[in-house]
Amino acid sequence: MSEGLDLGLRAQAAAIAAGEVDAGELLDATLARIEQRNPALNAVVETFPERSREMLATAPDGPLRGVPVVIKDEWPLPWRAQRFGAAQLLAETAPGESGPYRALRDAGAVVVGVGNMHELGAGSTGNVSVYGPARNPWDTERCPGGSSSGPASSVAGRLVAGAVGADGLGSVRFPAAYCGLTGLKPTFGRSAMEGHHMAPITTLIVSGPLCADAADCRLLGSVLFGEELAGGDAAGLRIGVVRDTVSEDVAPEVKTACEEAIEVLRAETGGTVTEISLPDLEAATLAAILIINSESMSGTRPEQLNRLDPELSPIARGTLKYRMLLPAAATTQAALLRTLMRRRLAAIFADVDVIAWPTIPAPAPPLDSPMVELPSGTHTADQANVRGAALANLTGIPSISMPVGLSDEGLPVALQLQGAWGRDELLLDATEALERANGRHWVEALPPLAAAEPTEV
Amino acid sequence: MHDRGQAPTGRVANPLGLPAEMEDTAQADQFIPAGLAALGIEADEIDLAVMAAVHGLLWEPLLALLALDTGGVEPERLADMSEAPR
Repeated sequence: MSEGLDLGLRAQAAAIAAGEVDAGELLDATLARIEQRNPALNAVVETFPERSREMLATAPDGPLRGVPVVIKDEWPLPWRAQRFGAAQLLAETAPGESGPYRALRDAGAVVVGVGNMHELGAGSTGNVSVYGPARNPWDTERCPGGSSSGPASSVAGRLVAGAVGADGLGSVRFPAAYCGLTGLKPTFGRSAMEGHHMAPITTLIVSGPLCADAADCRLLGSVLFGEELAGGDAAGLRIGVVRDTVSEDVAPEVKTACEEAIEVLRAETGGTVTEISLPDLEAATLAAILIINSESMSGTRPEQLNRLDPELSPIARGTLKYRMLLPAAATTQAALLRTLMRRRLAAIFADVDVIAWPTIPAPAPPLDSPMVELPSGTHTADQANVRGAALANLTGIPSISMPVGLSDEGLPVALQLQGAWGRDELLLDATEALERANGRHWVEALPPLAAAEPTEV
Repeated sequence: MHDRGQAPTGRVANPLGLPAEMEDTAQADQFIPAGLAALGIEADEIDLAVMAAVHGLLWEPLLALLALDTGGVEPERLADMSEAPR
């Protein structure tokens, strides 16, 4: 067994650079572990050992030289077109060099597999995919979160130490939260997106890292950003909290864990907690949904919808057709609300450094019934999850999700921090501060599946 | 069609005078087939059921969004989502 297999991302990179771990052995061990654990997780939908070995053989001496990573099925690779977790895409796709692929390659990383994802990126649970659902390593009968389900499941299951996801309405943060990982949704435009079939038209989607902790996200994020995300400190952190549905209509154990984490973060940084007002959050969520749905249908001709692949899920077929009926006036109104929310946030960020609330209102629901029980009643997980995530996509601000506890059922609970435009580094600093204060307890917690016997190679 | 002064979470009055509990159903029954027909999009029973469910989730919030008073919001021209609004 390669000794590097269970290390974190930066530790793997450092061990390879120091000659303590052989990158070829690590790649073989990673492929063996995928073969061993993936049948239970369905996190990785395709490996290509020869391509991976070619990448390793030509890897430059970059910050991730020889480190295996998984990339979501959302970007093309030179040898593979993306499928977006679906039987059919309305946009044409082809193999090619995407921005995230180039960033990984130029950093010396080795793409070892393609991560599963929720069909068409249109779900927060990951329970629908043309490949079958990815599974949550904390409980394989639970949703891993979506849409970056496979990247999260592969990191939480310790198949790899880092993975690249995409976040259009929370799709990095939900799976990070469900799987007990740290996931960064960067400021819009800071991370590589070239080659994404919606990159030219979307104003919401970004690529982002999913890793065990903030320092690993900083390393993988720096690669995706093409610039070093320098570490600082979060001393005197001014934390804003909102007494609204996003923080109040959540499962009691989520509320407790997040409130405790906020207090721990305040104490660790010597900061403050201030209650802030952020009106129209519910409408802002819908605005983000309308805008991304409208953008995603750009270029779609009505007749294309009469030739949908029968293997697309019934939900995808129906929602694609419904999107064509969305009133233009509502999308225009959504754009105005977007402006209003951006201005409100700019004013708020003059007074606070971060806004904190739970990433998800309840822990991962069952794969076969993705519903959550909240104080307000029973909701689909999608309906409940999106209301805490969409603001960052709508307005462009960065956001990070971090594990802050386990539920009574042993499922991860997560806190989300949102910062001003370009303050991705501060979010990482604050997350590291919370990790320190918690003795790294939650970022080092292993799901049962990943605590299994080590892979023999 | 909408009252710009209405609270964002409020329900817009039904111009047809239908009982509130019938509003979504009536809208879905009329709006979806009419919209599909206008665009020449075919739909089977399953498609229609999914669309009705999506409509039921989105339509009331959509009406509330339309009811928001954004008359005083100066549009952000050439908005750059990577930065704070200018």
